Parts: sequence; structure tokens; C-alpha cells
Amino acid sequence: MSSRPLTIGLVGLGIATALAGCASSAGATTSANYKDGTYTGNGNYLSPEGNESISVTLTLAANKVTAVTVTPHPNSATAAFYQQQFASGIASEVVGQNIDTLNVSRVAGSSLTSTGFDAALTTIKAHAVKP
Amino acid sequence: MIVDPLPVAWTFDAIGTSWRIDTAEPIPDAVRSTITDRVEHFDRDWSRFRADSLVSRIAREPGHHALPDDAAPLLELFRELYAASGGRVSPLVGRALESLGYDATYRLVPTATREHIPAWEEAISWDGAFLDTVSPVLLDVGAAGKGYLVDLVSALLCTAGIPEHVVDASGDLRTRGIPLRVALEHPADPTMAIGVVELSGGPDDAALCASAANRRAWGDGLHHLLDAVTGEPTADVVASWAIASDALTADGAATALFFDTDPAFYRDRGITTVRMFATGRVETSASFTGELFR
Repeated sequence: MSSRPLTIGLVGLGIATALAGCASSAGATTSANYKDGTYTGNGNYLSPEGNESISVTLTLAANKVTAVTVTPHPNSATAAFYQQQFASGIASEVVGQNIDTLNVSRVAGSSLTSTGFDAALTTIKAHAVKP
Repeated sequence: MIVDPLPVAWTFDAIGTSWRIDTAEPIPDAVRSTITDRVEHFDRDWSRFRADSLVSRIAREPGHHALPDDAAPLLELFRELYAASGGRVSPLVGRALESLGYDATYRLVPTATREHIPAWEEAISWDGAFLDTVSPVLLDVGAAGKGYLVDLVSALLCTAGIPEHVVDASGDLRTRGIPLRVALEHPADPTMAIGVVELSGGPDDAALCASAANRRAWGDGLHHLLDAVTGEPTADVVASWAIASDALTADGAATALFFDTDPAFYRDRGITTVRMFATGRVETSASFTGELFR
């Protein structure tokens, strides 16, 4: 349960957009060429709130991201415990909807996962770029 | 999908979290410097992770301490939270958090014995400008400090002639003049939302703060939200959201929602609340007008 992959539909998203994330567009270019293939990178970051890590797997084809899979790695028994709690208890109460399908400006939560996600993408980008 | 509310976003990391400020035009370098200096100054005053901070000095030297100008609203809110929660939300949990492992070196291993968490009246006296301590107390303003800093940064933008903006410090956000649709992130799955709320961009619902127990967990039942009466981390509530006119209030309320806090605290301040229990049950205040996915 704790390492259940979550697939996000980002089919056809331009790679420059995906790799630049939410940061200002300065420095993001579309000139880089990437080798087709499936790449996995790990994102970690440390904050006073603790350590978080995720794996991100990207499939690249013709410089486009055709699939993204995010695998969370809860670092504590507590996180795993809560995930199990939700798995069994949430269905009858609230139903989660994929954020990708919602038209919103912000996501309010406490995951900070985007930082780890960006770190993983940076690793993938370095490995995938054509020499 | 996520639609940016304004054309320009400035992102940076500070106080151990990611910040994002959205504006219509790029923020001039001088204003950026003012903001990063202000954030650094706040950290130097209030971080218990820095040996050179005011909070660390107070922890070493009991006595008569002059507090910075920004202390009054923060400590006043803590005093109200302390009263409304029957002493369960307290800035005096710093030492106990350390003993549980949440310390400056990220030891993350609890000690065998739990620290006694002192009662407000027996440990500190605050007159609005000076803090008197009779013993070394380690303050922890984590329950509302980041939200307060979001307010301070937002005020700097207004002073700099940028009245319309969104300041988002990863879970604590404030909008001025910009309507926002915000997804409430599922605490167990950051790709999912349990609902959506809309902020008007006006002053009544300017701030939305979120808190979750699993984010800062480092062991079985060990996380950053301590019940100051029992000295143990809370267990029943796993995530909370609060909407208020400022982020200081919203952040403090998001923390208070983890405890058995007097509902009048929220009602009197016009705070809208959402919280999710470990069972998956979600509870909202009557003032909640957003959508929950049931």
C-alpha cells in the first residue's frame, strides 16, 4: 500500500513545461533534445519538518512526456498507518478526486511533495538529455 | 489541472519550505531583497533550530527579554489559542518536541522520558513588549508562525505598491484581490483532493491554511502536533484547513482543529473550518461553502 504507484495523466505535455514546473520561465528552454525511453529519478529534500522522498518515472517520446508515475515512500510508520486507515475508511466518507481533473489555482495541503517532484525531474533531465 | 492565477510567479525556499508569490508584473529586485531579508529576520528571531535565534537565547537565559515588534500579534493569538483549547495548544512545547526527537539536529529518536510541558502562567509572563521567564523555556511558534510570516510578506508587497498578489508558503496562503479556487489535498495522497473551496479575493476570506499530521511524522505516533496537556502527539485528526481574514489566524486555527478547541474560537473570528479524521470522516463548519467529494 505504501508504495502504490499513482499514475498522473500528462499525455502530450511538452517536456520544457513539465521540467520547468511552477518556477519562473527564465532559464527554461525548448532547445534541449532528449532520448526516448523510460527514466526514473528519486526526489529527496530535508526541511525542519522532516525528510520526504518520492520516485518519479517518466516516459519520453519525441521530446514529449507521455507518462508520469509517482511512487511515494512514506518515511515513517505513522504515514504508512494513515495510508492504511484511509484505504479502508475513506470510501464511505469522502471520495478523492484526481487534482489533474480539477480546474483550480492552488492545492492546499501539507505534502511539500512538489519540491521532491522537481528534484526527481532534475535528475531525470540530466540523464535523458542527448549529449 | 492547475491554472496560475496571475502571469508571474517567483519561487524560493526559506524557513525550510517552498514559497511562491504570484503577481501581475515581475517583482523588482529591491522588493525581493526586502522580502528575503524580512523572512531571514523572522527566522533569526523565532527559529528554535538556530543557536543564534532569539528563541534559543530565551531558552538559555531565563529573565527579562525584549521581543521584536512583530511579536505582539503572534503571542496574542497564542494566548487566545491556549485559552480556547484548555492549554492544549501552547508555545511551550518546544522542549517536549525536542525530547520526542524533533530537534535542531533532526535526531528524530525520542528519549525515554517525556519533558514536562509547563503551564503558561507558571512559565512565562508577557506584557505586550517584554517576555519574562523564570526558567529556561523553549518557545515553539510553529502552530501559527508560518502563517504570520505570510501576512508580513503580503504587507511588504502592499507597501511596495503591489496590492494584488498571492503569497503561498506551502500550505499557508494569502490572496489579495485575486479570487482563487483551491483544491483540498488528500492527506494520504498528494495527487488527490477531497474537495474544493473558492476564495473571493476579498478581505473576509483572504487566507487559507492547511495542516496535516503525516507531513511531519518521524516515527510510530510521533509528529509535530503535541497536546500540551498530555505531552503526546494528537491522534484523531489527520488533516485540517482553516479560512480566515489573515494567515496568522488561519494557521493557528488549522492547528487548533487537531485539538478539542472551543468552537466559539472559530465562530467569534469568522473562521471557516474543515477537518478530516483518521477514520476518513470529514467535518466542516456551517460557514463552509465549498464542495466536498462524497
